[in-house]
Amino acid sequence: MGPVIEARGLTHEYPDGTTALRDVTVAIEAGERVAVIGANGSGKSTLQLVLGGLVEPTAGAVEYFGETADAEAVRDRLGVLLQDPDDYLFNTTVREDIEYGPAQLGMSRRAATQRVAHLAAELGLESLLDRPPFRLSGGEKQRAAVASVLAFEPDVLLLDEPFGAVDAGYRERILELVTDHEGTVVLFTPSVDVVPEVVDRVLVVGQDGSIAADGPVRDVLTDTALLRENGLQPPATVQLFEGILDADDVPLTVSDARAHLLDETR
Amino acid sequence: MTGVVGRSVESITGALRTVFTAEQVASADGFLQRRDPRVSLCSVAGLALAVMLTRTVAVTLCFGVVTVLLARLSAVPLRQLLARSAVVPLVSAVIVVPQAVLLPGDALVRAFGLAVTDGGVAYVVLFTLRVGVGVALLSLIVMTTPFSSVVAAMRELRVPVALVWVVAVTYRYLFLFFDELQRLVLARNSRTTGQSSLRDGWRDAKRLVGTFLLRTLDRGERVGRGMRARGGSRPPSPYSRSRAVDGGDYALVALAVVAVVGSGVIRWGL
Ligand SMILES: Nc1ncnc2c1ncn2[C@@H]1O[C@H](COP(=O)(O)OP(=O)(O)OP(=O)(O)O)[C@@H](O)[C@H]1O
Ligand SMILES: [Mg+2]
Repeated sequence: MGPVIEARGLTHEYPDGTTALRDVTVAIEAGERVAVIGANGSGKSTLQLVLGGLVEPTAGAVEYFGETADAEAVRDRLGVLLQDPDDYLFNTTVREDIEYGPAQLGMSRRAATQRVAHLAAELGLESLLDRPPFRLSGGEKQRAAVASVLAFEPDVLLLDEPFGAVDAGYRERILELVTDHEGTVVLFTPSVDVVPEVVDRVLVVGQDGSIAADGPVRDVLTDTALLRENGLQPPATVQLFEGILDADDVPLTVSDARAHLLDETR
Repeated sequence: MTGVVGRSVESITGALRTVFTAEQVASADGFLQRRDPRVSLCSVAGLALAVMLTRTVAVTLCFGVVTVLLARLSAVPLRQLLARSAVVPLVSAVIVVPQAVLLPGDALVRAFGLAVTDGGVAYVVLFTLRVGVGVALLSLIVMTTPFSSVVAAMRELRVPVALVWVVAVTYRYLFLFFDELQRLVLARNSRTTGQSSLRDGWRDAKRLVGTFLLRTLDRGERVGRGMRARGGSRPPSPYSRSRAVDGGDYALVALAVVAVVGSGVIRWGL
């Protein structure tokens, strides 16, 4: 299978003259799990909006599923979750919000009802379904937004910082839901530590809005100089073992680090 | 922004925001909640039409009583209904109040060379009452039926898509408008300390309006993206909540028909 999203030469300048993206060329293959990391203001969200067909780039083009340049034609296959849940939840109750995508994109009512029940249970939203979204806490809003994008079962998930204000317990749940998603996942986040748990490939957006690196998760996350140059910190475990272990052996997650330490002490 | 201006802006925006939000009443068990959305939409619209046709205070008051009864049967707290429906008639009362002196009739009070006439007062009272009852009826629908069901019912009733679109978008943006206003005022108030004079308050309020307009436009654009991301550029098509039409539905339709015919007869005669 070819790329699900292929972007060539994307440049985006906001009306006030800020250049947020500079000549970005990237292809996301079907089934890939990719993280797009970068410092605040580097252009991750802009890239997500352009890849999701919600913002027209000033230059360059995006093609979807090797068949069309029109994102609206493949809306039901693209799950674009915006960074701010207040922009994403606009219905009068949480239930209506979770059902909005499935209804607009032609999912059957029965399937949607099951989906809502399942996601509400997974994300602890059952008691909140009849509340207006703006009355929820920050983390609850974020969970409702995640449920809303997962509800219509898109092939490709483009998630902009889905863990924002979410507590550790629900962060695990969201990670699990994303890992279980059968399809392509692109995660846009400034928090490097969650990245190795979900993805195999990492793109680094430099502070000038160009792609500073693109490679396997281990190669990118153990390149501490590269990360620091681009305003990022390496994952905590990499910092811990930096200079102690070879880049090939540095554990990327806390559980790997723990396994390594247990091995050592035995 | 503290002081009188700040506080009143905050309470007004808070009140307005509740006008445009679904409360839990929609999920309560009551007469209107149990109706098929198409039936309640048509019937309540019929009742509102009947109110607009009336030309006497007594008949308008009767409709007021019907509205209150419907609210009671549907577990809608009267205070909430009042809070939601008070703003519009109060604003319209301010607009028509000059009619009290402009319309001919017997003078009730004279001051500054102007006479408040009985005909003028009757007009203002009738007008305000009619708007109030009409808005209360429409609020009842919004409070007892989830908004997506109202939209679905409009689609099922073959209301032109363009019109449904306008209603759906307007409703959401009105809500957004007040949400943004309240957030801005809260943010301002939390960063200003001490008492400021009334004049400072006004100056601040003017600046606030400028920021507010920019922010609402910006937010509108972002929410527009949020809608588009989930198929918002297709015609509104929420799941319908229609159900088997039963005795209660027939009773409500009958009530609406009687109200429209009755109002018409009273107004134009047979
Ligand atoms: N609507 C806008 N108008 C003008 N400039 C904007 C707009 N939105 C973003 N920018 C600018 O574009 C650049 C990239 O912004 P973007 O939101 O894509 O960054 P980001 O990588 O997502 O940051 P964060 O990690 O804080 O979410 C920033 O310099 C930002 O100030
Ligand atoms: Mg961002």
